[in-house]
This record gives sequence, structure tokens and C-alpha cells, in this order.
Amino acid sequence: MDVSQYLDIFIDETNEHIQALSDNIMALEQEPENKDTINEIFRAAHSLKGMAGTMGFKRMQHLTHDMENVFSEVRNDTVKVDSNLIDILFKCLDAVEGYLENVKATSDEGTEDNAALIKMLNDVLEGNGGDSPAADSSDAGGSEAEAQESDSAEGSDDPNGKNHFLALKLDEESIGKLRGAVEDEGLKLYGMTVHIQKECLLKAARAFLVFKALEDYGEILVYDPSSQDIEDEKFDLGFSVIFASNSDDTEAIKTSVLAVSEIESVDLALVSVEQYEKAAEEAKAEPEHKVEPVAAPAAAAPASPAPAPAAKSAAPAAAKKTANKPVTTRTVRVDLEKLDALMNQVSELIIAKNSLVSISSADNGSGNLDTQSWQSQIEYLERITTNLHESVMKVRMVPIENTVNKFPRMIRDLSRKLGKPMNLVMTGEETELDRTVVDQLGDPLQHLLRNSADHGIESPEERKAAGKPEEGTIFLNAFQEGNNVIIQVGDDGGGINTEKVKEKAVERGIVSPEEAENLTQKEIIDFLFMPSFSMAKTVTDISGRGVGLDVVKSNIEALGGNVEVKSTLGQGSTFTVRLPLTLAIIQALMVEIRDEKYAIALGSIQNIEDISIDEIKYVEAKEVIHLRGNVIPIVRLDQLLDFEPQDEEPSNLTVVVVKKGDLQAGLVVDNLIGQQEIVIKSLGKVIDNNKIISGATILGDGEVAMIIDVNALM
Amino acid sequence: MAAELETLDEERIQYIVVKIGSEQYGLDISVVDNIVRMQKITRVPKAPSYYPGVINLRGEVVPVMSARLKMGLDEDEITKNTRIIILRLELQGLVGILVDEVKEVITLGESEIDRSNQSSQNKDATYINGIGKSGDSLVSIFDINAIIDEVAV
Repeated sequence: MDVSQYLDIFIDETNEHIQALSDNIMALEQEPENKDTINEIFRAAHSLKGMAGTMGFKRMQHLTHDMENVFSEVRNDTVKVDSNLIDILFKCLDAVEGYLENVKATSDEGTEDNAALIKMLNDVLEGNGGDSPAADSSDAGGSEAEAQESDSAEGSDDPNGKNHFLALKLDEESIGKLRGAVEDEGLKLYGMTVHIQKECLLKAARAFLVFKALEDYGEILVYDPSSQDIEDEKFDLGFSVIFASNSDDTEAIKTSVLAVSEIESVDLALVSVEQYEKAAEEAKAEPEHKVEPVAAPAAAAPASPAPAPAAKSAAPAAAKKTANKPVTTRTVRVDLEKLDALMNQVSELIIAKNSLVSISSADNGSGNLDTQSWQSQIEYLERITTNLHESVMKVRMVPIENTVNKFPRMIRDLSRKLGKPMNLVMTGEETELDRTVVDQLGDPLQHLLRNSADHGIESPEERKAAGKPEEGTIFLNAFQEGNNVIIQVGDDGGGINTEKVKEKAVERGIVSPEEAENLTQKEIIDFLFMPSFSMAKTVTDISGRGVGLDVVKSNIEALGGNVEVKSTLGQGSTFTVRLPLTLAIIQALMVEIRDEKYAIALGSIQNIEDISIDEIKYVEAKEVIHLRGNVIPIVRLDQLLDFEPQDEEPSNLTVVVVKKGDLQAGLVVDNLIGQQEIVIKSLGKVIDNNKIISGATILGDGEVAMIIDVNALM
Repeated sequence: MAAELETLDEERIQYIVVKIGSEQYGLDISVVDNIVRMQKITRVPKAPSYYPGVINLRGEVVPVMSARLKMGLDEDEITKNTRIIILRLELQGLVGILVDEVKEVITLGESEIDRSNQSSQNKDATYINGIGKSGDSLVSIFDINAIIDEVAV
């Protein structure tokens, strides 16, 4: 059966299930008794296995099946959750991920059997006895059996009974189908009742595999219970089918069905249309039996195995699994609300356009435009375009959750590997960023977290001696600040020992010992961001090869952001990653310096001050102003941007106070023009090596204005 | 000379001949996107000196280079003949080059280009990779990669 069209869905959903499993197993470790979590895990594992089976990935299915068995025992309280079990489960998850990687790369699961893992899982099971009661669906199956009571002499009424297929009641449509297969195509009809072992947990999956096996021989015409019910596991331990085949080899058919694991027995016999016709007539008063309508009429589906029903049963299975998953954001998924907002604004836009048209046509000929309503419509239009821009941006925005939710697992692994108890606390996972930024954020953040775990957090002994709790805390906080998103990654560990960094820098000949003495703390910490500057005494596989912080820095800078470090010896360090919220359009303040126009992003502007020249003070020969208790350094933009000095300095200066985190600076400009929405354009690659100018924008009159990068000024 | 090696069916390339200072230069037409009249160039602070700035080319911001300054000649004198040749390059995207005048388009085969002067003492020789003959005048062929690439690294 061709499943390639489902490959994308499979990959997407497997990813989701793996993530769900990972999250929940983490949660389980904290609360081993939480039934909800266990059920959630069980469901995810079950889906995972079902999907692997559907796609024909046998090895993956095998592994997930055994995982599921373990979860089932956990659910039944026969296996206790301990960290050993959690470890095994995580290893299994990694293996499943490995399969998935193979699938992504080659559309095949690869050849790794992961026998060792499967053995471990089975050991867990055996250690606790494998008595798993039948799943809760037995009630449903039972009631269905009652509903099917009949007085047929042949076969058993009980769907679990032997040769139940003989007792099937068929409606005319099914009989017609059977007749068609026999008379038009000359196929033989087989009735089959399959009995599944009592211990089987995934009866639907078994049934599915049976159907798959049968497809090699012919086409299944009648299902009992209906194929939908079988898929939903709404049957007890047996189900029956009638299928048409051109094969005579009943034994071969039987063997291939029995090859499906956990099948107890199979009853198979040739049947005729007539016997069902008779039964149907006898039982006319009986309620009509549910029969799965087959997609292709029998006549149109010749003797070849029928892919259509198989594909059909796979598709709803996949769809069902999506339905009960919370909406997660991926390539094409956009929250409907966002699209609705967008749609609303577009309709508003149309209304605004119509108003403008009506104003201009009302004035047709007279020549005197109603300037006031014209003006108000323009303002209205402006408001709509701003909102529209915001909405479109929001469509592109995704929460960082998808990127950061793999970190708790990573820290847990590191914690065990390094023998240092530590805990990751995350806040603000719902903070949204442009999709392109989020996608590339994973690696740098991972580096920072590893760095914290490896270098930051001290050993439990050291922590005890320092009077800290033995368990280290690593935190990841994300939040929005103006037009930026800030992500802080830090720890309550030992902090950066600047003396050691200094020694290392001298040792490596980056600075002379004399120079080193005069370095500020910030300058010393900046060494850590230099390529191949590692502080780790030994190279571990976690960090310490010296490829880390410099990569983090360049990655973040490539996204238009920056990284800062704050560290207090003995109390921990915090890396602050600052990223632009959006990449394309921003609100900006337009200013004038001499005859040139510049844009400053509104998000970084704190306030605008009119300062008398006398208010400028000097600190360390640098100009500062004293403003409401803050000392703010003054940046003369005209000097910075290589303008000729003015002949006569004005007695008052217009100062735009900008901020970056805790830092402030006052930019001196000649004139303020006003607030404007600007589209950021790149300056082109040839003059991109410009730190002060982050880009350019085209103004309404076609003129180009430079955008000042406030972050680079501080 | 190359003429003896290749006689028939040699590839003929079209060049746009421009005047910069007193000399004529040829630009391979395949990299030329457009030729626009002189327009307002917005200065980019801290850009290399031979980049007078950027222009607005139909909504795109395009950096403009002064060929004169790049080759160490005097600053451009803007006249009514001044043009900006917009090059579309694979690596650098759109780049404009300021020239004094656009003369004509010529077609030259490899045999008509003298490639032997690369080691010339001439100061701007590093930016040209051959000299072609058009009628009785000489046209220096720009090495586009050399003249633009330097800053793009």
C-alpha cells in the first residue's frame, strides 16, 4: 500500500507525540502517581505505535509497542516509576527519534533493531509480571454482541464465538457486492473470524494488520463490526470479515493472518452469496447491520489488492489523532483567530477605499474637495494599515515554546550525566517571535543552557559548602520589551571567575599581563565570546571544546540580536539574549540632522528632552546629562555620523533618550520630524559592514533615510 | 596572440562602453541590470569612501559606488551625462556604479581583447582584465569581480 502521501503527516505527528511523551515522562518523574499524565503518555505511545504500524515501519512499531506495554503496566500500577525506568524510556524515545530521522532522510526506518532497549523494556515487564487485563472496550463489544442476537442455526451469535462469520446478517448492498465479486469477477468468497488474544492491548492495530495481510489476497467486502468500529476498537476479542479472493490456498491465507502477533486463532471457510441471502431473508425484521461502504464498487476494483479501502482507513486514523491534539504551531498552522482578525481588517480596508472613492466622486467637477472628511478617511486608512501590518506580523509569529520545550529533558539528562542535581525553571514560553527567528533560536539557547549546566552549576559538595541548596537552578525567562524579545538564560552557580578568564587570556597571549590589569569586567567576559576560548579544564562532550559562546554570539547577531552577560562570582551568571520582534516593518521616529533624515526605532526610545546647553556635565571627559536622578551619556549624532561641526552651537539641544535594557543614552539631533511606520530595507551586501546603521528605509517622497541602530551605540 | 588559437565561432560578448575620466571602459552586458539617470544619492555614514551612498531604485535600496574614487581618480563631477549603471551580481545583489557617460554597446570576441597587460604598472590595472579595440579607440574591460568584490567579503 502506498503510504508516501502520509509521510509528512507521519513525521509531523510523530514529532508531536515524541515531544508529548518527553514532556509527560518528565512530569511523571516528578509525580509518579499522576494518573492523568500516565494516561496521556499511554495515549501518545499508542498513537505513535499505531502510526508506525500504518506506515509499515515494523522496527519502530515493535519498539513503541514494547514501550506501550510498559506504560500499560504503569497505568495498572504493576510497575513502579523510578528514575531507572525513566532513563530507559528516554533512551527509547531517543531511539524512536532515530527512526524518525531515518524516515525523514530516506523514507525508511533504517535497520537498527534496538534489541537491547527492547530487552530492557521486557525485563521491566517481566520483573513485574505481565498480566494485563483486557482493555476497557470489552463492555462496548459485549453490548454490541447482544444487539446482534439472531436465531441463525449455523455459527455462533457471539462475535467472539467460533465461525461467527457464518452468522453475519448482511444488507442488500453488501450481498450485491458479494454477488458482484463472484459473478462479475469470478472470485471466491471467504468468511473469516479472527480471535485476538485476551492480553492484547491494541486490538485495533491487530485488526488493521490482519486487514493488511488480507489485502495481499483480495479485497475485504464485509466487515463485522463495521471497519470504523474496529478501528475505534469497539469490539471484544473477535471480528469477522468476508473477502473476495482469487486464491485457493486457504492455508496460506490463514498462515499470513496468524503471523500477526497476538492473534489467537482464525476461522476461515469458503462461503457463498446464497447462504447470506437466505439468512438476510430470514432475518428481515432484524435491524439492519452496519456495513462499511467500500470506496470503489467491486466491479471497478479488479482482482488486485485494493489500496483504496486501506488508504481510507489510514487517513481517518491519522485525522483522528490530530483532532485530539492541542493546536501546535508548525509551518502552515495559523491560529484561526489571527486569520479572522486579518480578514476583518481587509474588509475594513475595502470600506476605507470605498469611502475615499465616494468622496472623490462626490466632488466630481466642483473642484472643492471636502478636505475634512478626506483627512479623516486618510487617518482611518492609516489606522487600518497599521493594524493590518500588526496582524500579518502576528501570523508570522510563533511562541518560542516549540523550541524551548525540549530543554527540560536536556537538562535532566545533563544532570544525570554530570552528577549534579539541577532543575530548569522556564517562564514565558508563550512569548512570540517571528517564525524565522524562533527556528534558529534553538541552537544558541541550547549552547547557553549546556554552558550553565556544565560550567555554571557547581558540584553538590561545593554548593553545600557555599551554603546553597544542593540542587542547582537554571532558568530560562522570555519576555517582550518594546520591539525586542528578551530571553535570559542563567544559573545560580558559581558565576564567571574573571580572574581565571584574565589568566587564560594572558596565557593565550590575547592580552599582555599589563593590559589585563586595566580590563573592565565586561571586557574580560567578552573574551569568553572569542572563538576557541574555552574555560573548561577538561573537554567534555557537553561543552568545553571552545566552540560555544562565539557561535552563540554570531548566531544571535545573524538574527539581528545581541548577547550580554551579567555575572556575580559565587552567585551565578545570566546571559541575556535580545532579539528584534519583527524583521520588516517598525514604528520609527524620524529625525533630522543637518539636511539628512534618520530613523530611530520607536521601541527603543524612552523619551525626548529639550536640554539647555548648560545642563551638560562632564564625567571622565564625556558629556552627560542629569535627568530625574539618572546620569545619561550624551551621543552627538552629528559627530558620530561624520557631519561637519555646526558653526554656532544652538543654546538648546533636542535629545532623544534611548534605552537598551538598563543602559540609556541621549542622542542629540537637530530636529524632530515625527513618528512614521517604516519598512526596513537592507543596505545591500557591499556596505553592510556598518555598525551604526542597521538599514535604510524609503520615505513617502522616495527619498532614502538611514535607520540608526540604537543597540550599537551603547 | 589569442587570435591564432581561436579563429572561428568564438564567443562574442557585448560590452557597454562607459566613459570615466578621459578613458573608456567596457562592462560585460550580462551583469548589467539597468542604466539610470543620476538621482539623489543618500549618504551612508561610515561606508567606504568610494561608496557615495544609496539610491532608491523602484523601492529597493541600492548601494552606489563611484568608479572614479575606487580607481583613485578625482571625485565625480555630476553632469547631465552622468549615469548610474546598475549591476545585478550573484553574490552582492544589486550594485550601482557611477560613470561619467554611457557611450555605446560594442561586441567583442576574445580575439579582439588584449589580455596581456595584467601586470601593467597602471594603478587601476587591478580592476581591468583586458583591453579591447573598438574602431580606433581602446576600451578597458572591467573585471567586475575585482572592482566590486573587495568590500563584499
